[in-house]
Amino acid sequence: MSAFIEPWTYGFMQQALLVGLMVATLAAILSCFVVLKGWSLMGDAVSHAILPGVVGAYILGIPLVIGAFVAGLSCALASGAIRATSRVKEDAAMGVVFSGMFAVGLIMLSQVRSNVHLSHILFGSILGIEAEDFWQTLVITTVSLLVLAVRGRDLVLFCFDPGQARIVGLHVGRLRLLLLTILSASIVAGVQAVGVILVVALLITPGAIALLLTDRFGRMVMIAVAAACTATFAGIQASFMLDASTAGSIVLALSALFVAALLFSPRHGLLRRRGAVPAPM
Amino acid sequence: MEELLVPFAYDYMRRALMISTLVGAVSGLLSCYVVLKGWSLMGDALSHAIVPGVVLAWIAGIPFAIGAFASGMLAAVVMAALRGRTPLKEDTIIGVVFTGFFGAGLFLLSVFPSDVRLKTIIFGNVLGIADEDIVQMAIIAVVVVAALAVWGRDLMLSLFDPVHLKAIGGSPDMMRLLLLVLLAATAVAGLQAVGAVLVIGMLVTPGATAYLLTDRFGTMAAIASALGAATGLVGAYVSYFLDGSTGGTIVALQAGVFVVVLFFAPRHGILASRRAARQAA
Repeated sequence: MSAFIEPWTYGFMQQALLVGLMVATLAAILSCFVVLKGWSLMGDAVSHAILPGVVGAYILGIPLVIGAFVAGLSCALASGAIRATSRVKEDAAMGVVFSGMFAVGLIMLSQVRSNVHLSHILFGSILGIEAEDFWQTLVITTVSLLVLAVRGRDLVLFCFDPGQARIVGLHVGRLRLLLLTILSASIVAGVQAVGVILVVALLITPGAIALLLTDRFGRMVMIAVAAACTATFAGIQASFMLDASTAGSIVLALSALFVAALLFSPRHGLLRRRGAVPAPM
Repeated sequence: MEELLVPFAYDYMRRALMISTLVGAVSGLLSCYVVLKGWSLMGDALSHAIVPGVVLAWIAGIPFAIGAFASGMLAAVVMAALRGRTPLKEDTIIGVVFTGFFGAGLFLLSVFPSDVRLKTIIFGNVLGIADEDIVQMAIIAVVVVAALAVWGRDLMLSLFDPVHLKAIGGSPDMMRLLLLVLLAATAVAGLQAVGAVLVIGMLVTPGATAYLLTDRFGTMAAIASALGAATGLVGAYVSYFLDGSTGGTIVALQAGVFVVVLFFAPRHGILASRRAARQAA
């Protein structure tokens, strides 16, 4: 038993758990929107597109988080603009923009001999979070959660029924921008704290798990947050005991929860009793 | 003048130029199908899903390409199996599966210390390519081109007019599988040239660019593969002088060409559409 408790007696483990839970909570809420909107590529795109912003900010001597945020948001906006003004579809536009931006970031990085460690940006290590990153994550998470609490209802309407949102007088373009802004902010916070791959997974899988288990948005958010936090806790614990990659362990724990939901979901599960009627979505 | 020829004097540069051109041409050709099908996320997903296969291949002592391809195909099969059986959208399924695979790869890498360098997988290393890798890539290229020569028409039909394809005795499902196999094979080749992150650039950007230039599929395929080959060659060449990432230079170049075409394409460019809109007004 003590083997399970031992990890949490270390300060760095407590801090890792705290940051992990903050990032997981915010990302899990956003993942519900992402899954409903069909924006899975967005998390992937924005999290890679921040690279040139980070290097650029380093060159200019401004805080890296600002550069990252600007670059991430421009990727999302540029993809939308390309789709709106040309015949290229949104998924291809996103692919072109984010791979191009990441490529430019790589070239910039090779030109400046900086102390911006690429691996630190890309695989940000949750076990070695610096005080600055901690506070940054705390501030971004708090602000984003507040905004979501205030504008959440409008955003849900925007996701489910943009037409209706427009009719009741909401500005759909602005809601889209708001969601993209929160998404970019959470990705910036998450990438520095826990790394790209974990952020991308946390922005998709919890929402997917929840959608398998419920049809109501409120419950979906709660399930997503619970799943993400459980996986974060179990993943950090397992990574300590097995001496394995933390990000990899958390993603695997998340995948395990997804498989469980997939098999045993009462309504949509692959193993549900014959004769049960699947609900239309 | 002589300085411009320096890259050709080095054996490793001649190889890198050759490989980049080859991979550029093949992935450029395939990118037409990816763009038309709206599968940008799939290219990215398969290139990441390869990672656990690479690690397991190293542990089992079998060739890297076989493990990589098997792992990519397994991910594709899982995605195909989940499709239509759950309320989840296709992009969500792709996202959940590929992050899970990549997470498993990270986990395996950390638990089984191996020769596999995560950095090489993620960023590619065309300058350090071994002879047997070149043979593998050449085989992959020949197989992909041959498959497209035989089934290219049916594949195209499955994108534009699946009903017609069925009527003439073809199977859209088989074509779907074929495209997945070809994508996985190309991702394996691309991985070594430009790395997992930038494979999506090579598998999307040339096709998206060509799509802005023509309405005919044959012309689009020709433009995209020529563009892929040219940017591969020029990008690898220029990277020598930049002393920077080869993959980054190639993909940044492709994105640059896309931006120019996006504005100035004769019929589908932004400027041309504006002009047309003005004349109509």
